[in-house]
Amino acid sequence: MEDIKIGVFICHCGTNIGGVLDIASITEYVKTLPNVIYAADNIYTCSEVGLSEIRNKIKEFNLNRVIVASCTPRTHESLFRNTCQEAGLNPYLFEMVNIRDQDSWVHMKEPEKGTEKAKDLIRMGLSKAILLRPLEKIKVDINPSALIIGGGISGIHAALNLANQGFQTTIIEKESELGGNLKLLNKLYPIQVDASKLLEIIYMVESHRNINVITSSIPVKVEGFIGNFETTIKKNKQISKIKTGIIIIATGAKALIPEGLFGYNGKTVISQLDLEQLLKENNVNAQNIVMIQCVGARNDVRPYCSKICCMTALKNAMLIKEINPNANITILFRDIQTQGTTYEDYYRKAREKAILFVKYSPEKPPLVKNSVVEVYNELRNLIINIPYDLVVLSTPLIAHEDSTKLAKMLKIPQQDNKFFLEAHVKLRPVDFATDGIFVCGSAHWPADVRESITQAYAAASRASRFLSKDYLEVEGATAEVDTEICIKCKICIKICPFSAISKNQEGEILVNKILCKACGVCGASCPVGAITIHHFTDEQIISEILSCGVGY
Amino acid sequence: MDYEPKILGFLCNWCSYAGADLAGVSRIQYAPNLRVIRVMCSGRIDPIFILEGFLKGIDGIMVLGCHLGDCHYINGNYEAEIKIGVLNKLLKLIGFSERLILDWVSASEGNRFAQVVNEFTEKIRDLGPSPIKDKKYKINITDELNVIKSALSDIRLRVFIGRKRSIITEGNVYGEVISEEEFDKILDQAIYDEYIRNKILLKIKNKSKSVPEISKEIRVEPNRVLEHIICLKSRGLVDFDKIIDIYPKFISIKEE
Amino acid sequence: MLKNGDGLMEKTGAVLIIGGGIAGIQASLDLAERGVNVELVEKNACIGGRMAQLDKTFPTNDCSICILAPKLAECSHNSKITLHTLSEVKELSGNVGNFKVKVLKKARYVKEDRCINCGVCVEKCPMRVNDEFDMNLRKRKAIYIDYVQGVPAIMTIDKENCLFFTKGTCKICESVCEREAIDFDQKDKEIELFVGSIIIAAGYDMFDVSLIPRLGYGRINNVVTGLEFERLICASGPLGGHLVRPSDKKEPKKLAFINCVGSRDIKNNPYCSSCCCMYTTKEAMIAHEHDNGLKSTIFYIDLRAPGKDFQKYIKRGIRDYNLNYVKAKVAKIIEDKEKNPIVIYEDINTFKIKQEIFDIVILANTIVPKRDAGELAKVLGVELDHYNFFKGETYHPQITSKKGIFLCGACREPMDIPTSVIDASSAAARAAEIIIER
Repeated sequence: MEDIKIGVFICHCGTNIGGVLDIASITEYVKTLPNVIYAADNIYTCSEVGLSEIRNKIKEFNLNRVIVASCTPRTHESLFRNTCQEAGLNPYLFEMVNIRDQDSWVHMKEPEKGTEKAKDLIRMGLSKAILLRPLEKIKVDINPSALIIGGGISGIHAALNLANQGFQTTIIEKESELGGNLKLLNKLYPIQVDASKLLEIIYMVESHRNINVITSSIPVKVEGFIGNFETTIKKNKQISKIKTGIIIIATGAKALIPEGLFGYNGKTVISQLDLEQLLKENNVNAQNIVMIQCVGARNDVRPYCSKICCMTALKNAMLIKEINPNANITILFRDIQTQGTTYEDYYRKAREKAILFVKYSPEKPPLVKNSVVEVYNELRNLIINIPYDLVVLSTPLIAHEDSTKLAKMLKIPQQDNKFFLEAHVKLRPVDFATDGIFVCGSAHWPADVRESITQAYAAASRASRFLSKDYLEVEGATAEVDTEICIKCKICIKICPFSAISKNQEGEILVNKILCKACGVCGASCPVGAITIHHFTDEQIISEILSCGVGY
Repeated sequence: MDYEPKILGFLCNWCSYAGADLAGVSRIQYAPNLRVIRVMCSGRIDPIFILEGFLKGIDGIMVLGCHLGDCHYINGNYEAEIKIGVLNKLLKLIGFSERLILDWVSASEGNRFAQVVNEFTEKIRDLGPSPIKDKKYKINITDELNVIKSALSDIRLRVFIGRKRSIITEGNVYGEVISEEEFDKILDQAIYDEYIRNKILLKIKNKSKSVPEISKEIRVEPNRVLEHIICLKSRGLVDFDKIIDIYPKFISIKEE
Repeated sequence: MLKNGDGLMEKTGAVLIIGGGIAGIQASLDLAERGVNVELVEKNACIGGRMAQLDKTFPTNDCSICILAPKLAECSHNSKITLHTLSEVKELSGNVGNFKVKVLKKARYVKEDRCINCGVCVEKCPMRVNDEFDMNLRKRKAIYIDYVQGVPAIMTIDKENCLFFTKGTCKICESVCEREAIDFDQKDKEIELFVGSIIIAAGYDMFDVSLIPRLGYGRINNVVTGLEFERLICASGPLGGHLVRPSDKKEPKKLAFINCVGSRDIKNNPYCSSCCCMYTTKEAMIAHEHDNGLKSTIFYIDLRAPGKDFQKYIKRGIRDYNLNYVKAKVAKIIEDKEKNPIVIYEDINTFKIKQEIFDIVILANTIVPKRDAGELAKVLGVELDHYNFFKGETYHPQITSKKGIFLCGACREPMDIPTSVIDASSAAARAAEIIIER
């Protein structure tokens, strides 16, 4: 057992602490505690004078534990840890005690009690410090290459950005060529450009020296973790393996085929996707057209709004009007979703084009009859009949059937409608909780071209943060499984939100220290106490509890 | 009674500890009885920690985490809720549950932090000092807390607790998803059974006793006691000692 | 040194990011973690932007500052990021890859390396002035920090209101500061930055509701804006999170939220402000959490909730939070004798004119372009769109009219936080590409 030598530095923080608490009495008290070799107060421990004193005393007294009692570790722990390291002390042998934010500042009128509290808190810190162990940061090599699953508009752009940053990138696409859903479209809103125009970039992708495209192929198995993924790919009947540092999911989504809805028959009642094809062939001859929005969406099965259908309907309605200005077009809608500047402008433009908009409510949905669409009009409180020779149903984008398979393969979550679930809706929208895997485009949520490209670059940005490093360095304080004690109940595997725990080939349960974020939940959940949460061990926490200053 | 309660608080780093710091920055004054232990996540708190605190004589313990849905580690606070919930049920059996709270304080709730601390401190002040500090109750309370501690150290309850969230969300090994109510019904029974079983073990730790004797001591019907004894025997925790009169006597098997 | 897949390359320059709101912060962090040096220029004394002012955020209702604060701290700790607060870009020369930027750094009158944010000076400062961060709903001092979690965590002297600068007296802060951090002699200074690429993340302003007099803002006490309400319900706001109405401090029981105030309105701003349908829902939910006897009515034109799980959020609002959505156009707001606002509206479904009394009315005023967007666009030589938002390419909306300069966040179009964050990462990727490619 090593000889524990603790140095305690107590900060006045000017009068912030010193003006309330009795620092002299605290310092004298601390000197009486076991293992304390050195204890002193400073006016500002965080000043250069204070920091160099820490460095000097570590050397002078051979201190192997350092405690600073001052402000909050949330702002200053890293500074003091670095100082310890500069003096040759392992930074994990530092402990901080908060006697300002949580003591002198909140007990200004009870200085004696505040002083007692400070003594207790420092004693608790000491009891933990005695049990602290040096830890090393962990390094893992990063393979500076990317795998992009899906070669639609988002996959293509993610690949281009990463390749242009110099990273070797592989796209695997299940179809025989790149392009995804865009191949099925006629023109794109909001500037009516040919969809094929946006696919011209495929040439650049295929000829890029850093991009490798594998078509007609799907992933069948993914092993490894950030920096070192190994993906097994099946192309026809051939199996191959590819090693990459990160993976981006850009598998997209597909439009719902409205089988059994509103008399869908593919002839007089068609989907917007069918209409795209007809427009491509310049084969729309109908005079009276009714479009119905939210078909199969915003209902109990698919409660979501698919985001792109309102704009698609507006686009196609305007295109038809361009070809045949006398066409009668009615759009039956629930809410028109045209957020922002450009899209709202587009909506206004459509309204100016003598396109009729009729709001319907889901309680009284339109009825497609032989030659008329019957819809309840709330305004006049009567049912109106709109004659048609073509009904166009706007259906939502839905997740691919095989997305669940991919989710299981990568151990990443999906939401209710099987779109992939990101790490944090707001602040990590294209990351997963598991490091090294990213998502963009409609695999994440229905997205149009503009949004898919934006997300593709975002995913590439998040990925390049890892790819640009020679190695990944992670905190040394992580969980660790003692395989001698472990009973392989796998509770920890399920409970870890970061998929950091897994079974190895020998059947042992192990923590991947690269993925572990040290929350400690697995430790508290292990039925047999086989997991150690380093830097917050059971012994350390219990020792703090037992020294908090009660006894009987 | 005039006493200063000793309160221990486990604060998660990201929300409640930050909320406590904010109370400081805003100079919001609150009761000086709290001693804080910082952990990264409220889900780190093993119920054993809390029992250690109560055994030591701490008057009240607070576990504060991020609001549900805000956890920095996605769902650690849900795990905390489950664990503290089970502990709470056990503490209720011995009338100790008032001395523990689990609550949520965000990083922007400096005021609320102070308020939660003040209210809890006052409640503990009203409850009086922990009975464990009273000579009259010390042995009894220590025994009871140790019974709970051994129940919660035991693999059976811990497996139950650890699997709860995955079973009610993803289903069990047969793919059956069990509703939380159903699960809790089973869990409640297990909690009670394990409490009684550990209590029996404690009673026959040093001296062998018959079923009627145990039944009288722990006030549980003899046939139930017998069932528990059989269960404990099958786990290899209890052995038959001797027969006195017509009653067999049992003793717990000491661990190596 | 910057590394790419081909090995090491010569360092080719930093990226300038204009604006330290959530978009600018996200772009900075992505680039810094990518190994790129970042010069982050922020006009205010602290970074954090609008997001710091919000109480909670949809669709998860998690506390805004809780999720923002760790990012603020990362910005101040990351050695690749240089923060320039109280700073504005004044001049730009050069081309993509080699921009030279002149930045005006205003004097803080507090030494950044001395101040430890202890707050003693604030306590002693005798001047009380309106607190802009709290939407002028409470007072701050002339020496102050924007908000308690602000980064950099140091004080600033507000020259306009400081007694020393206005009357030549006082200097109390200087005498109480033990760190000798106060420096009345500091001068504004111009610095030069050399960068390879620029990201504009300048944010937005809020529409001035008094431009629509019929809505009664300013005249009727209990009519407030969305952002004001955000501060009123925030636990660290002027009411400590205990919601009472402005006129008589009574706890409100009936709230009205009015969407599209100043937006989707040809006379004011024809565009959609993108986030109001969702944020009014959120504010109504939080208010209900404070007092579950409370009932909120949300007046809307189209309920726009296309984002991830947004429809679910609205449903939850109706089911669990007593929210009532009314498709209507609000004609005007008047006041009764008890100072209760009365909303007079046209029900769009029935075209009937109706009216209803509320305790507080919240106006969801639209996001508008920054007042000085034109000036900044001119300095940088980039185009604005017909609304004065920064103009991006149709399918690559982060790309401006000038090579090497990119956009992100609500300076290019009104957008919510998740979209801004994605936008920011996207702009960062484009900037990185420029720098590495060279």
